[in-house]
Amino acid sequence: MNVNKIGTGIRGLDKMLNGGLVPGRAYIVSGPPGSGKTILGSQFLVDGVEGGERVLFVALEEPPNELKYNLRVFGWPIEGIEVLDANSDIRRFEPTPILEISTETEPMKFSAVPDDIRKTPDFESHEVSVHSLQQLLKTLLIKRAYTRVLIDSMTALRYFCMKDFEENVSTQSFMRFLAESKVTSLLTVETSEASEIAPEAFLARGEIRLYRMRDESGIKRFISIEKYKGSAHDEDIRPFDITAKGIVVHAN
Amino acid sequence: MLRGGLIPKRPYVISGASGTGKTILAMQFILEGLRHGEPCMVISLDEPPNEVKANMAAFGWNFDRLKILDATPDIRAHKRTRSVIDVGTTLDIRDMEEVKDIRQSQQLRTMEVSIHSVQKMMKQEFFQHYEKTKEKYQRIVIDSLTALKMFSLIGVDSRIMIQSFMRFLSELEATTYIVSEHLEQEAVETEFFLARGKIRLHKWLDGSTVKRAISIEKFRGSGFDDKMRPMTISKSGISVNPAGKIPLNSTVNGGLGAQFVETRLAEQVTKSIEKGFELVGECRSSGHDVSRPEMELTRAMLMVQRGQPYEAMDIVERVRQQLELMLPKPEKIPPPPPPAPEEARGI
Repeated sequence: MNVNKIGTGIRGLDKMLNGGLVPGRAYIVSGPPGSGKTILGSQFLVDGVEGGERVLFVALEEPPNELKYNLRVFGWPIEGIEVLDANSDIRRFEPTPILEISTETEPMKFSAVPDDIRKTPDFESHEVSVHSLQQLLKTLLIKRAYTRVLIDSMTALRYFCMKDFEENVSTQSFMRFLAESKVTSLLTVETSEASEIAPEAFLARGEIRLYRMRDESGIKRFISIEKYKGSAHDEDIRPFDITAKGIVVHAN
Repeated sequence: MLRGGLIPKRPYVISGASGTGKTILAMQFILEGLRHGEPCMVISLDEPPNEVKANMAAFGWNFDRLKILDATPDIRAHKRTRSVIDVGTTLDIRDMEEVKDIRQSQQLRTMEVSIHSVQKMMKQEFFQHYEKTKEKYQRIVIDSLTALKMFSLIGVDSRIMIQSFMRFLSELEATTYIVSEHLEQEAVETEFFLARGKIRLHKWLDGSTVKRAISIEKFRGSGFDDKMRPMTISKSGISVNPAGKIPLNSTVNGGLGAQFVETRLAEQVTKSIEKGFELVGECRSSGHDVSRPEMELTRAMLMVQRGQPYEAMDIVERVRQQLELMLPKPEKIPPPPPPAPEEARGI
């Protein structure tokens, strides 16, 4: 493997990426629901854990307890992944002040994640905004020196955390922030069946796109590198499977 | 199809066009819970409970022990002076057993339904029930979220509202079915991507008979059967044939909604693209430069993704013709060789 690149934890994908990802940059993983974005992202983090790196899973779409349950089937060492629960609480309708995700919120290792969902406290609701999340990540990245970060998902961040901000500008700024932090990050983006190009893809240094198609023999999955700045890459759409050990890309 | 059933305590979405059987599927899920003595709750937003009751009586199902929240909005008062009241503040949840006629809109005030009021109502009932019986509701059906989205005072930040509502459902730790119609294929609907699973129902015409099918589109944390399976609605409810097959062509000729046909068409085009790729392989092994047709096929694939199956089909046809020209012609059976002179000499 190219010494300047880092692996994704998926051999076939590394091959398509001509050796892996250029570190310190932000990449998009896009695809329709159920195409395997979260699995791909987790595999990327697991690869880091196996290499002794410190990695962070920013969970915006699913509560950590469910992620832990869902990922257990692959038998990966996920215990070493640190997860930040950035799911907003249930919203309060009374005109009481809503607290932003507190900057004392700490990521925890998957091994410490409880089996049940965290409950919204009775008298205060925490809401995650892109601004508060960015603040929090900034401190965390300095304090804990993560080398890999997974944002799952950008769609949730955009849909639920940018209420008072202009969406495209905030997205741009958030991705700029990730780039300046020099951390290698994967950002998942949900696309619909007939997808338009997401603005994130336009800003990212690379886009890995997942496809999911149904025919008589079931669901077929494909993967392509839509964009990869600063590196040669496979331009074909390749089939992949989600197996008991995770994603396997058939790069030939 | 779900490899044993649903993972409990999570919200799932049931989608499909109208008349595909979403409510029946949901009520059968409730029935299963009642049979095991689990407390169940239905939030009825589409139909008044009396109609739900009548419709389900046709299957001979008994829902007397089910709690049902009538969240159908009243006739709207058109006079501006009358204040609109959220449903949660006045209505109560009742046992299905007590459901009789349609609730009449009151003269002086009308009730509106919002996510907020439904949520408040559910929470109240949930905790009251827990205090009384020390039991938590285990199965909940929201029928349907589409009604709530279309007719309620949901406001501008509807995505955030739905996100919060789904969070609320997760924290209740009941297994929830959210019935939702597919409005637009284009949009990434909040409930679809937040739900931990999505079951989709299909219906189309095959000649003059209605055909039905069911498919699992997404199921977090578990493997699942990824094929579309035939489904029927009979007197005893929905039954699925987990070994049955849906022939691709039957749905295309069926003339169901354009959207569905487009999806099926996309699938068909994908298949011919795959065949195209096979041809590419053959041509390559016979020494041809196939980079161009290969790229064209990839492009066609992307066009399918971008919702242009017809354009993609044209490309695939063209490429396949080109490729077939490259292939070595199947050798004609050589005519019987003329008698060899040697042989002739031998004689």
